[in-house]
Amino acid sequence: MIRVRGLRKSYGGQLLFRRLDLDISKGEVVVLIGPSGSGKSSFLRCVNGLESFEEGEVTVGGIALHSIRGRSRAEGEAIRRVRLKVGMVFQQFNLFPHMSVIGNIVEAPVRVLGVDRETAAIEARKLLRRINIEGKADSYPGELSGGEQQRVAIARALAMRPEAMLFDEPTSSLDPEMVGEVLSVIRDLVGEGMTTVIATHEMGFAREVADRVVVFDKGEIVETGPPEEIFSHPKTERTRAFLSRVLPG
Amino acid sequence: MGPLTAYFFRDRRIERTLGFASLFLAVVLLLAQAAPVAAGGSLDKITERGYLIWGSDAEGGAPYVFPDPRDPSHLIGFEVDLADAIAKRLGVKARQGQNAWDSLIPALKRGDFDIVMNGIEITPQRKEEVLFSLPYYVYTEQLVVRKDDNTISAIGDLKGKKAGTLSGTVAQEILTKGGGIDVRIYSGQVEPYEDLAIGRIDGVLLDLPIAAYYGKTNPKLRYAGGPIGEGYYGIAIRKGNDDLKAKIDGILAELLRSGELKRIYQKWDLWGPPQEKLTRLYREKTGFVGLEESRKAPLSTFLPALLKGAGITILISSTSMALAISLGLLLTVCRLYGRPPLSTLSTAYIEVYRGTPLLIQLYILYYGLPNIGISLSPVTAAFLGLGMNYAAYEAEIYRAGIIAVPKGQMEAALSLGMSQGLALRRVVLPQALRIATPGVTNDFIALFKDSSLVSVIAMVELTKTYSILAASTLRFFELGLIAAILYFCMSYPLSILARRLEERLKGGGR
Repeated sequence: MIRVRGLRKSYGGQLLFRRLDLDISKGEVVVLIGPSGSGKSSFLRCVNGLESFEEGEVTVGGIALHSIRGRSRAEGEAIRRVRLKVGMVFQQFNLFPHMSVIGNIVEAPVRVLGVDRETAAIEARKLLRRINIEGKADSYPGELSGGEQQRVAIARALAMRPEAMLFDEPTSSLDPEMVGEVLSVIRDLVGEGMTTVIATHEMGFAREVADRVVVFDKGEIVETGPPEEIFSHPKTERTRAFLSRVLPG
Repeated sequence: MGPLTAYFFRDRRIERTLGFASLFLAVVLLLAQAAPVAAGGSLDKITERGYLIWGSDAEGGAPYVFPDPRDPSHLIGFEVDLADAIAKRLGVKARQGQNAWDSLIPALKRGDFDIVMNGIEITPQRKEEVLFSLPYYVYTEQLVVRKDDNTISAIGDLKGKKAGTLSGTVAQEILTKGGGIDVRIYSGQVEPYEDLAIGRIDGVLLDLPIAAYYGKTNPKLRYAGGPIGEGYYGIAIRKGNDDLKAKIDGILAELLRSGELKRIYQKWDLWGPPQEKLTRLYREKTGFVGLEESRKAPLSTFLPALLKGAGITILISSTSMALAISLGLLLTVCRLYGRPPLSTLSTAYIEVYRGTPLLIQLYILYYGLPNIGISLSPVTAAFLGLGMNYAAYEAEIYRAGIIAVPKGQMEAALSLGMSQGLALRRVVLPQALRIATPGVTNDFIALFKDSSLVSVIAMVELTKTYSILAASTLRFFELGLIAAILYFCMSYPLSILARRLEERLKGGGR
């Protein structure tokens, strides 16, 4: 489903990824963990073309993205097609503040996919029921709690019927009491078999939902494996060091 | 939007975003082009049009041309009477075209008027630029000084002293040639006498009709010595327009022969020995309508004229603001999202328009462009001048608004599969414009007041109406208050609107 080969990327002259490879198969749930600044977010942003890279290739559902320098019209079109296949949820929610909840959800289906507004609204209400905030359809993002906003952001991404979902630290800017409601929505999604990549600091959740855990450190993948193995028997010193910092006891 | 824009923008949707702005712009430019240029023309054109446009400056224009104190929306003066008489014999009506006195000849040359008749002295230099009719008035210069100043009785006594006159006049030449005189140049004919009365200068040398109206009537001033020099006023006609000149010469001769010219001059107390050069006829004087009366007229008599000026101010400001808003948006989008040649051009436009005075931009548009064959009507030039200038400021306000929208908004929109153009149009711009709205409204208020600058290009809006009326009545204070109140009545609602918008914005959400 997602295949990354030889990804090289620098940030303002600073090399971030030297050579990164990762494959994610259909229906797989991959959780990215690692210290802040280790490259988890950048990796996700390269996958859906929000960040450019210098070398390598990212393939999503058979569509290849190359180095995005001097992007041509065809390349731009490829990025757009990739984005239609993968939904993205951001740490900061990024709901459109000038649109109602329902407006946020139907905007892209109507404008991008050409779905008629009524059909889109019916679908949107179904999604709102799924994330348990049916009553807030006509509220504006500024009137919602952080947890509610993030759930709407997930619904907004799902409304495009993506084949995979990318979550970029979805709970990091939430108050602790709201983390649970967002994780439970993601849990349901995973339960339905959605291909999912999550960058997170929620280790318990990672252990619970992941098929595979990938440990990032300083722009490298230092270890990858099933959660039991990573959390109970980490093979590398760097993984051990990271886990000892984030896990209690 | 063709392949050209397709090249300039990375994304087809941006073109559509620009569609609205550029469509509006196109319509506006089309209208501007269609707006009739009051092109002065040949005899045929005048007859066909049904009126003769004669250029003059009604500001401080007594007794030549000035607002009737009894009905200030209506002009009177000996040149008004003369223009009517000439037009009548051409079988058309006379229509006055307003412009600053020292810009009358340039405006004639660019085709704003058919003729210029406003105390234009026939001089060799001017003859190089325009045709002159037969003289219609013999002028002399008259020195005016303060009554309590006994030291000056002739030009020679002005050595080492300050003397005032109008720019570009024969009187100015006489004073300059006098040597040792500190010559002060004024642009209106009222101000030198005002300054003389309060002692800022020591003498004023100007044409006798002006001295009679503005100097002699002031109780603090007196004539010093007799008339100096002698010359002729002529009607200026654009070069090449010889048939019009011939026709007007014939009409002037006829007016002289029939005694109509003399009757006009007598009505204005302008008939004197020098005019006998024009004709041997000479009769008794009649009183003239003048400053005394207008100084006493109730203020309400000036209101219709001022309101008309306010109307023109509103028209000019709102249309040019519409242009500024749409052109500004186009500039910002090009600057932020266009490819290099387009973005650089937009940036250059913004910097040049913000970095040069609006007044000079107006002068170039109106008086400069005719040199390369583009002649804009005053309304069009005012609209384009103000609109194009303010567009640069609006562009910067929008840019600040766009930058203030969090980056995550664009990313979220893109991640949903939107193109950059669609994301811009649906997500970023609505938020950016909301942020920009109070700034734009404030600029509208500023533009309202800046619109007074267009009086330099022959637009008679509120400020120009005020200065014309005030100069003819000397009621600078009361009329100034009224004009200021009118400006305030127009801009205050906008301030309230701006504040409301700002509050709504702070309310967040919606």
